Amino acid sequence: MTVSAQAPRLPSLIEQIEGAQDRARTVFRLKFAGTWALLLGLLIFGLWATGNIDTTFIELWGPFILLGAPITILLSVVSIFFATLLAIVGAIARLSRNAYISGVASLYVSLVRGTPLLVQIAFIYFALPQFGIFIDSIPSGIIALSFNYGAYMTEVFRAGIQAVPRGQREAAASLGMPERLIMRRIVLPQAFRIVIPAIGNDFVAMVKDSALVSVISVQELLWRARQVGTQEFRNFEALLIAAAIYWIMTVVFSFGQERLEKRMARGDR
Amino acid sequence: MSTKRRGAALLAGLLFLAACQQAANIPNVVCAGEATTYVDWVQGDLAIAEPDAIEQPATTDDPADMLAIIRDRGEIVVSTDPNYAPQSFLNPDGSYEGFDIDVANEIAERLGVGIRFETPEWDAITAGSWSERWDISVGSMTVTDDRKGVLAFTRPYYYTPAQMAVATSANIDSLDQLPDELTVTTLPTDAECAQAIQAGRTEFVLWLSSSTTVAGAIAAGAPMEPLGDPVFAEPLSVAIDKSGPPHAELLFEIDRIIGEMHEDGTLTALSEQWFDGLDLTQTASQ
Repeated sequence: MTVSAQAPRLPSLIEQIEGAQDRARTVFRLKFAGTWALLLGLLIFGLWATGNIDTTFIELWGPFILLGAPITILLSVVSIFFATLLAIVGAIARLSRNAYISGVASLYVSLVRGTPLLVQIAFIYFALPQFGIFIDSIPSGIIALSFNYGAYMTEVFRAGIQAVPRGQREAAASLGMPERLIMRRIVLPQAFRIVIPAIGNDFVAMVKDSALVSVISVQELLWRARQVGTQEFRNFEALLIAAAIYWIMTVVFSFGQERLEKRMARGDR
Repeated sequence: MSTKRRGAALLAGLLFLAACQQAANIPNVVCAGEATTYVDWVQGDLAIAEPDAIEQPATTDDPADMLAIIRDRGEIVVSTDPNYAPQSFLNPDGSYEGFDIDVANEIAERLGVGIRFETPEWDAITAGSWSERWDISVGSMTVTDDRKGVLAFTRPYYYTPAQMAVATSANIDSLDQLPDELTVTTLPTDAECAQAIQAGRTEFVLWLSSSTTVAGAIAAGAPMEPLGDPVFAEPLSVAIDKSGPPHAELLFEIDRIIGEMHEDGTLTALSEQWFDGLDLTQTASQ
């Protein structure tokens, strides 16, 4: 084969390099997944080899424990929604030039971040009735989770808002946009983009914090696992099932969050 | 290491060993459920009471009374603690089963309403101030003076003997072998004592609970055996929160239903079904 190709071999060189990089990436991913599979396999084999794990128990009670997962997800989804709303309002209030509004917002953040979530849950369910306020268990859990995560996310949103380049605000102001419109049209959408990873993180964390709601007798995942475990004298299997389900949920939601971040990043040039 | 240090370490080691020996050899620690009469018995201040006599309520068909509210709603909400076989336990499909469950279902049927179960913690039930989260408690609750302060009780629907149980590893076969001075250590519920011993905890070898709970735990495999005759017996009733809405009619009606169930043999039949043929619904005059 002769002639013509005095044209520079650059394209094929680039292709070679990219091909090599792709292969390296694939090899890395395979090794990575292989390590996970090996470690998990060893763990499961080790548990099985002790001979102390009751698989009939797992088959019999697994579905009942698993049915706690939808309630856990429901609690988390609803709570993160209200927490986000609270956080947006809280962050804008925190950054307000009005001292009273700013003071209220930072008091909220300080109080709620300064008390344990468990105390807040117990407070809403057990303490409020003393003042004649009766709230059912699931709404109590949602309120507690929303308030608690709303406070933490207020700080996250505040950072997100402050991270939007000042030039954007100045440009909008020089065009004559009123403050409120600037916030709504320019700052918040960009802040939201910045903050999505943190919200995703918080959602994943909340799925696990929702286990605390078992103390006010919500029949979610942990409550079911503990109930069944103590009743059948099989705490290890029951709690193992619960832990595994929490982990699987975490993995799935983290994966979803990664995909969402990639999609939102596509807008960046 | 200096001799002083060695001496101190040796002394600490000896004291530690001595304490361990003490704990293992002298079985004076009894495990019982929190807020139960078993704790009181061990501590020497058992205060079982008979429920107060229930009088005909002043009103009838009062719409503000819980009886009317429940009938309007079409459903009665009953609290239960499903870690208490054979009185109340969970099935894999999520339904509850047990003697107390059956009694509650029967009461609801005779009231003409449906039934729903709530599962709060046991000490939330015994403390009163239910905040209207459930209507009545059918949970084998012992009538005591303390509880009468916050809860209204019906007549007893059965009685339960209190049985001492001992871990089989402890080599004790009669109540006389126990020291006179007993101390109590509590866990949230009776059932957890058996579970703790099965799990291998050694801080206690004695367990005091109802004879049915003890029998149930032993049948389920707890490494324990009953020790001697029942040490006392207690009346168990349905309870209503005194701090809730007006309930004089509800109390009277449920009390009447329980009387009916005693007379027509329903309670006896249920007792024999759940408690290995024993009829525990007669007075504890043994």
